Amino acid sequence: MSTLLVPRSDVSEFRKRYRWMALVAFLAFAVVIGRCFHLQILRGTEYAQIAHENVIRRVTLPTTRGIVRDAYGRVLASSRPSFNVLLVPGRVMPSARPARRGVKGAEEQDSFSRVADTLRLNPDERQRLAARIRDACITDEDRSPCWRPILVREDLSRDIVAEIKQHASELPGVEVVSQPVRYYPYKNTGAHFLGYTSEINAETLAKYRPPGYENLTPEERQKINPLGYEMGDIVGATGVEHAWESYLRGQRGWEKRVVDARGRYRTGPEAERLLDAPSRQEPIPGRDLRLTIDMELEQAVERAMRPHAAGAVVVVDVRTGRLLALYSKPDFDPNDLAGGAGRERIREAFKKLYSDPLRPMLDKTMSGVFHPGSTFKPFSALAALEDKLIPPTDKERCDGYLTFGRRIFRCAHVHGKVDMREAIAQSCNIYFFKLAESVGMDRIARIANEFGLGQKTGIGVNPEAAGRIPTRSWYALRYKGQFRIGFTLNTSIGQGATTVTPLQLAMAYAALANGGTVYSPQLVRAVETSDGAVVQDFPPRVRQKAKISPENLARVNDALYAVVNDEKGTAFPVRDRTIEVAGKTGTAQTGYVNTGNDDPKKAWYLSRDHAWFAAYSPARAPEIAVVVLVEHGGSGPTVAAPIAMQIIKEYHRQKEARATKLAARETKRPDAKEAPEKRPAPGIAAPAPAPRDPAPSDPTGIPEPSPTEPPPREDDEP
Amino acid sequence: MMIRRDQARFFGMPRDSFDWTLFLTTCTIAVFGVINLYSATSVARAALSDIYIQQVYWLVLGGILGGVVAVIDYRHYERLGYLLYGVGIVFLVLVFILGKDIRGSSRWIAIGSFGFQPSEFTKLFLIIALAKYLHDDPRTEARGIKDLIVPAALTGIPTVLIMKQPDLGTALIHLCIFGTICMLTRIRWQTLVGIAVSVAIAIPLAWTYLMKDYQKQRVLVFLNPEENLLGSGWHAHHARVAIGNGGLKGQGFMQGTQNQFLFLPDQHSDFPFAVFAEDWGFLGCFVLVSLYAFLVLWAIRIAATAKDRFGAVLAIGVGALIFWHAVFNLGMVTGLLPVVGVTLPLFSAGGSSVVTIMLGIGLLMNVSMRRYWGSPTRTGLLLRD
Repeated sequence: MSTLLVPRSDVSEFRKRYRWMALVAFLAFAVVIGRCFHLQILRGTEYAQIAHENVIRRVTLPTTRGIVRDAYGRVLASSRPSFNVLLVPGRVMPSARPARRGVKGAEEQDSFSRVADTLRLNPDERQRLAARIRDACITDEDRSPCWRPILVREDLSRDIVAEIKQHASELPGVEVVSQPVRYYPYKNTGAHFLGYTSEINAETLAKYRPPGYENLTPEERQKINPLGYEMGDIVGATGVEHAWESYLRGQRGWEKRVVDARGRYRTGPEAERLLDAPSRQEPIPGRDLRLTIDMELEQAVERAMRPHAAGAVVVVDVRTGRLLALYSKPDFDPNDLAGGAGRERIREAFKKLYSDPLRPMLDKTMSGVFHPGSTFKPFSALAALEDKLIPPTDKERCDGYLTFGRRIFRCAHVHGKVDMREAIAQSCNIYFFKLAESVGMDRIARIANEFGLGQKTGIGVNPEAAGRIPTRSWYALRYKGQFRIGFTLNTSIGQGATTVTPLQLAMAYAALANGGTVYSPQLVRAVETSDGAVVQDFPPRVRQKAKISPENLARVNDALYAVVNDEKGTAFPVRDRTIEVAGKTGTAQTGYVNTGNDDPKKAWYLSRDHAWFAAYSPARAPEIAVVVLVEHGGSGPTVAAPIAMQIIKEYHRQKEARATKLAARETKRPDAKEAPEKRPAPGIAAPAPAPRDPAPSDPTGIPEPSPTEPPPREDDEP
Repeated sequence: MMIRRDQARFFGMPRDSFDWTLFLTTCTIAVFGVINLYSATSVARAALSDIYIQQVYWLVLGGILGGVVAVIDYRHYERLGYLLYGVGIVFLVLVFILGKDIRGSSRWIAIGSFGFQPSEFTKLFLIIALAKYLHDDPRTEARGIKDLIVPAALTGIPTVLIMKQPDLGTALIHLCIFGTICMLTRIRWQTLVGIAVSVAIAIPLAWTYLMKDYQKQRVLVFLNPEENLLGSGWHAHHARVAIGNGGLKGQGFMQGTQNQFLFLPDQHSDFPFAVFAEDWGFLGCFVLVSLYAFLVLWAIRIAATAKDRFGAVLAIGVGALIFWHAVFNLGMVTGLLPVVGVTLPLFSAGGSSVVTIMLGIGLLMNVSMRRYWGSPTRTGLLLRD
């Protein structure tokens, strides 16, 4: 009993320690409370902000790219949905995830084999996909790739999409995402001016999103990147798609969504509570464009150019400078390059296009420069007339050649005595050599510049080439040696250093036709909203007025009329009596010399001349100017001129057909009765060989150049 | 007469000396813990949603066991001290033979469908063993290094075994309990300096040879908290965000977004305090941390009033157990300390942890009830020699 009443052991050793321990314990917990105060009160708002950002995700809402239409509302470029399939690895194949304490894996079933069946994967693809999923699921922590969707298939057929949607409940972790892909219904036709779209490249993106972009304020971002480019965005790469990108693109919208750590969206009142206003900004769809192009005419151009490998055609309204057709050959299908088909196919298409020696990616109407050949002669003639150096009625004698010093300059034929009108109509080089001798290079260059040759037209679509109209000073810079009169002679007939683009030539001929007004070529007529309201209408823009006296211009126009309608005119053989055309043929030497590296076939092709025909119609009251260039086509009168004729004829036929249709619509009531009566109307314009047509055997009126007959040469031979 | 009165009582429990303060404090924390677990596991984690029920079961079981422990006079534990300690060590060794492998370390022994973590209980056995040693070795003069050899060995054996599992957090708790109990005794200052120097040498050695890569990673993350937020810093960062998001008054029960939207990892085992802080804010945290502080201070008070050395060391040991668990866990969750897997007493889900704490509380109650000189008990009579 007593042992229990006395202390069994002495606790005095511990006595002094309790107070210290209590103090330490108190301080430790005080520090914890202090830390809580620091986190929750002092930095509370900051952390609340982070917490808010954690659960709120700003989802961008896609915008739709504007539609491009032609002058009559036909759709040239629009967007179609492409269905892509994404898989969330951890949900498609839960068995690939590491086993976890507390979480039973059995309740989730693998849907992988069903998914693979639905997507029609072959065994090889199936294996690769399974390996990809297993790699992603090495860990299944929050935010591991296990929960990040991976892209499996692009541009699925609608059947498979429907199947996936129908069995969605049995296919967990499979998402179908619709993504707009650019679509060009006319395929190759008009591909050059229309251009194509592609994914934004790293270089461009770096320009819009320089390093440190993420840390900028929204205002600064807006300034650097007004269109809000992001990685993977689709942008216009060439043509109208590129040049009018800022109109077509539209503006993305956004919406705030509540997400959890695994990126799953949460809905319901408890999630709504967290959303702060504004919670949504609607996307602004891109603007639609209405072009000046008439796609029906463009197709006619394409048909007319079909027999030839390469070339360019420009059709322009001489009264406004609006381009009705703009065609460059060979062309490409922008659908192959515009995504949708998948990266692999795009790469292949590019490889093919860029290895083609005929350069399909080059827009030859404005980026290609060529010697204009004889189509340049009217401007030389104008130079002589303007400065009254040569009376137009003076005749020069053409013996088929001319000697200057030791060099002989040749003509295509022996024309005998010709005046200016005949010289242009028959394309006599000798006359122009003599003319050039007295006029000089600089005067010719001045007139050519008056008509906009050798200068960029400012169409602003594809990278435009300027071409070149040489002057004495240009030669002085270029050649160290003495200036030779031969340079002037070559310039007068559009050879030597003289180069133009087909577009320039078309605008210059349009100016010849309309009395000297040089228009800026116009491709986009109006900008419209997606519901058709016109936002911006572009009136014709006059670039300059050529300072030419009307009588001189009339004289040249008369000569151009003679080219087609005079019996000795170079284009007389392809004349079509149903249409009135004035124009000028051209057969431009390419200056190709086979150095022995090219194989004979290629050398033969490259040594052939470029065939030109520049014309306007109707000759008395011109509406359109047409320039046809057939690269290495041979002779202008036999190759290029018939194409131009066909195009002009087609233009008039279509115009008439439209007028008939319009008339039919205006007299709406007797619709049924009127329609059959009107039907023959377009038939009038249909090809009907004129009695005096020199090629009666060819019902289409296109005389094919016969390869056995050497084409008549009308140019000099240096 | 006195004996008769005592014998009349149920198990000799001195009813008027029942420690209501200790009991109520414990119950309050436990209730908070269960409520918090309900919030922590309620959302979108179907597999976890019954955890709070299990926690209640464990609390009840722990309460019953704690009651039993409290009723038996602690002098029996003194008598059987080394035996209990030996049993604990045997279990630790068994872990290596029977252990279940979870996330690269084996800490568990499976009994039926339950996992049982011996290293949790070893803490108590260590406290009892140390208490017995100090009880049997009363000193009046300061202790030197020689006097620390036996307690160090007693601590070292389980600590090394636990380090081998590996379980850095529990091993650390063992060392801290040992340190705290050493501080209770009077040690020569030269010895303290010696120990400090050797620890300073030991830390780099442990870094190179003992610690696993993931453990090193955690320390590195602690030293550079803003770096690598998506990787190893994820836990610490999101715990801080959740606490900060609580603000003054909190988001409300089950309204904390960081927990509800799965941003908090391990929210029921290691980070329940972050859930609590987000739901209840600074006011809730203040109350909870105060409760822990009060519990620890009360344990010190019990030690101070204990009637013998064994009881005092026992109380200080259990107090240290609660203190270090709470401080390490709170420090880790609030970003004051590196992430070590130490549970928050009565808040973290887990059977072994809850039962251990309840047994510890039972021991405290035991010492507290028998603090008076004149309160012999029926079981006490057996000890009379």
